[in-house]
Amino acid sequence: MNDRNPAVITTVPAAAVIEEIRDEIEDVRTYYFRFEDPELERTFAVRSGQFVMCTVFGSGEFAVSLPWSPEADRRHLSVRSVGKVTGALAGLVVGDKIGIRGPFGNGFPFEDIKGKSIIYVAGGIGLIPLRSSIVHVLRHRAEFGRLILLYGARAPKDLMYRETIEGWRGTAGFETYVTIDRPEPGWTGETGFVHTLIEKAKVPVENTVAFVCGPPIMFNAVIQELSGRGLRDDCIISTLERHMKCGLGKCQHCAIGRTLVCTDGPVYTYKQIKTLGEQI
Amino acid sequence: MSYHSGVCNFCGTGCGHLLQVENGAVRGVFPSPGHPVSRGRLCVRGWHIHELMATEERIPRPLTRGAAGLEPVTWNAALDRAAAELGRFRPGEVGLWASPRASNEDVFTLVRLARGVLGTPHIDLLSDGWYSSTAGVLREGTDQPGALGFLTDVRSADFLLVVGTDLARQNPIVASELHFGARAGADLVTIGSRTTQLARLSRTHLRPAPGTKKMVLAALLKILLDEGLADPDFLAGRTPGAAALRRSLVEFDLAGAAKSSGLSVDALRDLAGRLAQAKRAMGFFSTGTTGLGRDTVALVYDLFLAAGKIGRPGCGVIPIVGISNLAGANDMGAAPDRLPGWRALPDPAAEAVLRSAWGGAANASAGGRVGDLLRVSGSPLKALVVMDHDEEIILQAEAIRRLDFVLYLGAFSNPFMDLAHVVLPTATYAETDGTYTNTDRRIQLNRRKIEPRFEARPAWRILTDLAGRLGGAWGYTAPADIFADIARLVPAYSGASYAGLGVNLGGLTWPVESAPLAGAGPRAVPLNEPIAAPAPADEAFPFRLMAGKSYYYWHQNNIMKKTFIPRREYNALLLLYPQGLVEIHPGDAARLGLRDKRPVKVVSARGSMTVQARVTTDVLPGMVYAPYFIGPMIEGFLKPEAGAVERGEDGVIPVRIEKV
Amino acid sequence: MYILPKSDLPMLLRTLADRYELFGPIVDPVSGETLFDRAASPEDLRLDAPIPVNTPKFTVFPHLERILSFRYDRDSKDLDIVRDDLVRPKALVGVRSCDLNGLLCFDRFFLGQEYVDEVYRDHRRKMLIVTNTCVRPFVQCFCVCTDSGPYAAEGYDVNLTDLGSAYLFETGSEKGAALAVELGLAAAGPADAAARDAAVNHSIGLFDGQAVENKAWISRAVNRLTTGFVKPETWEYIGRQCFECGACSFVCPSCSCFNIEDVATQAGPTDRLRTWDSCSFEGYARMAGEHNPRRPVEDRRNKRFFCKLSYSQSKKYLRPGCVGCGRCARVCPGDIGLPNVVTAIRRETTGSKP
Repeated sequence: MNDRNPAVITTVPAAAVIEEIRDEIEDVRTYYFRFEDPELERTFAVRSGQFVMCTVFGSGEFAVSLPWSPEADRRHLSVRSVGKVTGALAGLVVGDKIGIRGPFGNGFPFEDIKGKSIIYVAGGIGLIPLRSSIVHVLRHRAEFGRLILLYGARAPKDLMYRETIEGWRGTAGFETYVTIDRPEPGWTGETGFVHTLIEKAKVPVENTVAFVCGPPIMFNAVIQELSGRGLRDDCIISTLERHMKCGLGKCQHCAIGRTLVCTDGPVYTYKQIKTLGEQI
Repeated sequence: MSYHSGVCNFCGTGCGHLLQVENGAVRGVFPSPGHPVSRGRLCVRGWHIHELMATEERIPRPLTRGAAGLEPVTWNAALDRAAAELGRFRPGEVGLWASPRASNEDVFTLVRLARGVLGTPHIDLLSDGWYSSTAGVLREGTDQPGALGFLTDVRSADFLLVVGTDLARQNPIVASELHFGARAGADLVTIGSRTTQLARLSRTHLRPAPGTKKMVLAALLKILLDEGLADPDFLAGRTPGAAALRRSLVEFDLAGAAKSSGLSVDALRDLAGRLAQAKRAMGFFSTGTTGLGRDTVALVYDLFLAAGKIGRPGCGVIPIVGISNLAGANDMGAAPDRLPGWRALPDPAAEAVLRSAWGGAANASAGGRVGDLLRVSGSPLKALVVMDHDEEIILQAEAIRRLDFVLYLGAFSNPFMDLAHVVLPTATYAETDGTYTNTDRRIQLNRRKIEPRFEARPAWRILTDLAGRLGGAWGYTAPADIFADIARLVPAYSGASYAGLGVNLGGLTWPVESAPLAGAGPRAVPLNEPIAAPAPADEAFPFRLMAGKSYYYWHQNNIMKKTFIPRREYNALLLLYPQGLVEIHPGDAARLGLRDKRPVKVVSARGSMTVQARVTTDVLPGMVYAPYFIGPMIEGFLKPEAGAVERGEDGVIPVRIEKV
Repeated sequence: MYILPKSDLPMLLRTLADRYELFGPIVDPVSGETLFDRAASPEDLRLDAPIPVNTPKFTVFPHLERILSFRYDRDSKDLDIVRDDLVRPKALVGVRSCDLNGLLCFDRFFLGQEYVDEVYRDHRRKMLIVTNTCVRPFVQCFCVCTDSGPYAAEGYDVNLTDLGSAYLFETGSEKGAALAVELGLAAAGPADAAARDAAVNHSIGLFDGQAVENKAWISRAVNRLTTGFVKPETWEYIGRQCFECGACSFVCPSCSCFNIEDVATQAGPTDRLRTWDSCSFEGYARMAGEHNPRRPVEDRRNKRFFCKLSYSQSKKYLRPGCVGCGRCARVCPGDIGLPNVVTAIRRETTGSKP
């Protein structure tokens, strides 16, 4: 709790109990949790696009973007095991406790995009931060124009949230395209890099915003394609990831150009990203 | 006060620092502004030594091996067991590895335990690198086994020569002094195949082909002699040994040397002239993994001697030591063929010296290097005593496992513990008094700042207790007692005492009681081997691989891994190159179709390793450079090539590079 | 405004020592250097000593500090999180104006942004600051160029100025005012204020012989850094000389980057430790996986000087991040402390040789 922002858990992590663990793809698991404190469980409020700091007791803490939609989902985190701490998280079982601080960051700009068409472009685990936004707009379908998801991964085994995607596929008014990098036996869907779907989906650019999330090489290819079609830089939205230690705008590890990803971001327009003056 | 004056215990520069102590624990560090060498600077390692001091990765209490592995026991039980086990062996059956980062007092007591109590001459430092042979060359020339000059003179020098080594990585504050010297106008010259930070800061960087450094030095020396640039005494043969050295270079082919090394005769002639004309010239080279062979060191020395730069104020050559007390540990006689004070063995008078100093029988014979003895079949060794070592041990693990008894003394938990039957936790340098001798012969007293953590005890005290149980009543109650003994047995240290060292920021340089180089006038040091060009690249192995050190990876990482920031920086490189790396020139990479960070296979006649390519112009075409710090590389590739790795920058391994 | 006779200084220090841990300039007996450090007794403090080699920032932002402690039993699932308050009230005496301005940067940064840094706040709340007008600047000092000295304009509880036989005792807070009353100090008059002004002016005059070439250039360097006009070659020249030790950040009164590590202790709990960090390190911005957005050393150097001198950072601190203490120049193995960076920018601009 903080003087200035009392709704946010700033310094002392809140204990949370892991209630369920699901394997998503290789090295990525989803952890459903509830806060130990019933009052916090009731009041902990997040915005789509924000992130939390997750403590694995005895090991350390890491920043992780929120996949859950506050209005529709149980609280959960989807985490790829890449380092010491996320590796330790992967060793936990149902009933184990973790620590949560946050929520931090600005979140996605829903008010500004009402009435527009939205293109979601995700690569690999880049779908994680976009998930909550997709759930949100689907619940408020009438408020938006065309809704398109373009999702790519290296191989079928690298596709996140496959069941959820299958559910989205059947949703009226939600155009879902999924691709893998190279043809593979048993795969009947699209093949090729995700930016090639932009052409296939005949995405609109008028009155449209794009949410783009994925590895830098994919991000750059997608941006080039979208910009080439005339989508304005300030209509391309992404979330940036940075090494973080505090989430509070103090440790400065996530400084990028003049901004801090933890407090000024993690959501930026491409127009902003271009002025940051650093690699993304 | 929370800040207490002391000496950094990482590399051999011996920088002054202030350790911050809060509630009995080391919590911070600050550079000591008045220190004569470091002058208020520390490197990235020194700035994080408090992280090491605060680490929880200590050995908390004595351990002995039982049925269930190592188990905690009382100090008495551990010491009793260690003494009983060691007491079973005959003289000569026990080998000892002293530590180059332990204090003079700790090393001295280990030497005394070996020769005076266990009756064994088999003691050395394991990771001595080339210090003993380097110091041996300098002693051969001047009677002074150590630096022939002072780091405090660097800023007033007008010519600075660095041969090989990545000083900004190995001893950053020494490199900083050279940088300040260059900024003040000195002519800074580096000779090395690889472009280092210091090379970039140099006025001239000569890049000889790998393995030709010795030829380049010989060429410079020959130019001095043939073109009359050398010191008149040397030219006239009045310098002892000069004439013989000159004769040995008569046949040396200058043009051929230039061709082999890839340098022009004009460039060499220009450099020789600048050295000859300099008024205050200093030379530097490493004694670590990137050190130079005996003859190469001799050539650096002879070059400076011929140029009239040995024994003159503000001049000299300084071997740069990578580990805090490697020089001091050598002075203490942690070597099978020497007694404390560099008294060479065999020596008929040696036993009388030890007897009069220690008041009892002692083994004053020449022994063998423990590593060598372990390697031979039918090894005489049955037991091993090791003080504060780490992963380097993997090279000998199999032989060590076959021993009857292994005793380990150390502060930090460490893979070596798995091989030991008794583990005794020692105090760190911040937890007991001790002296350390740096790279330019500076004996510095580091005072205890905190009580030993957990149940650790100072090594000197443990060894004294152990000796007592084995029948040696030494009577040491404090490190100052031991230092008094050192000053009696090591002539150069005579005249120093804790009382004198304690009031002097920066300590005292040895010889304490006489002027440096006060012995017989300097002599030319002859070369042991003819100077030959490295074998021409053959078709099967067209590349020349050099192995070297990197900044954060000092001493096999066992220590750095226990810090936060230096460990992270180590990981930064490892994360970019998680399987290890070799540096390769962009031209070669393009020809072989290699890309940065992509895996490549490095194949030698003896083995191979698959690592990542780091494409950089820091290396020459036809050359690859492998940093000597990544476990899998050491185990799978560098280990069978130990012969070449041990030759440091003189050693090259012919390899081919295959795209994976 | 009061008068504190020098003979009463011990009384002030003893009064403070009764309530606070006392910190201030102490002369190290071996090196003869002045350190800002905890005083074992009030007599150890030397207000007439030269500027301390270190800044007092460690008193609010320790080099290594435990901020939390966890004990988690995976079998029973018992979890205990302790935020123990180990912070003791501290009085900092003899703080120089440059260092005070560093602390004010910290205040605005740690307390004044979207979130309050609670660890810092706890240190700061229990603190009393007595500044000391700087009458003996160092050769490296340039506080007159960064508007941070030699006289502290704000932010202190008490400011002392040496007037010869007495100190002018100015109060800047209720705590300071109460102290003056408690000590029964006599009020100062206009003549004393004039004497202070003379002392300050004399000190400013001493700067005339220092940093001569660069003085007017600090503000122009600010301008060029902010507008991105510094050439890449200049950053490369600076980067080549950087030994990547982190010292500039560690000695800087306004550098506050930190690292956090969770360490399992042998006693059982896991400590969450906060330690100083530096943006000049290669691993600083590295992310899990292998992406590092900030690789070349000149890129990282650039970052730090931008932080010290650009307008956008000044907005955060309400002043330039650089307080002109010159310490980075004293500790830099590469000889590229901030004054030399300004020199490099000046030479680039004027075309003079390095």
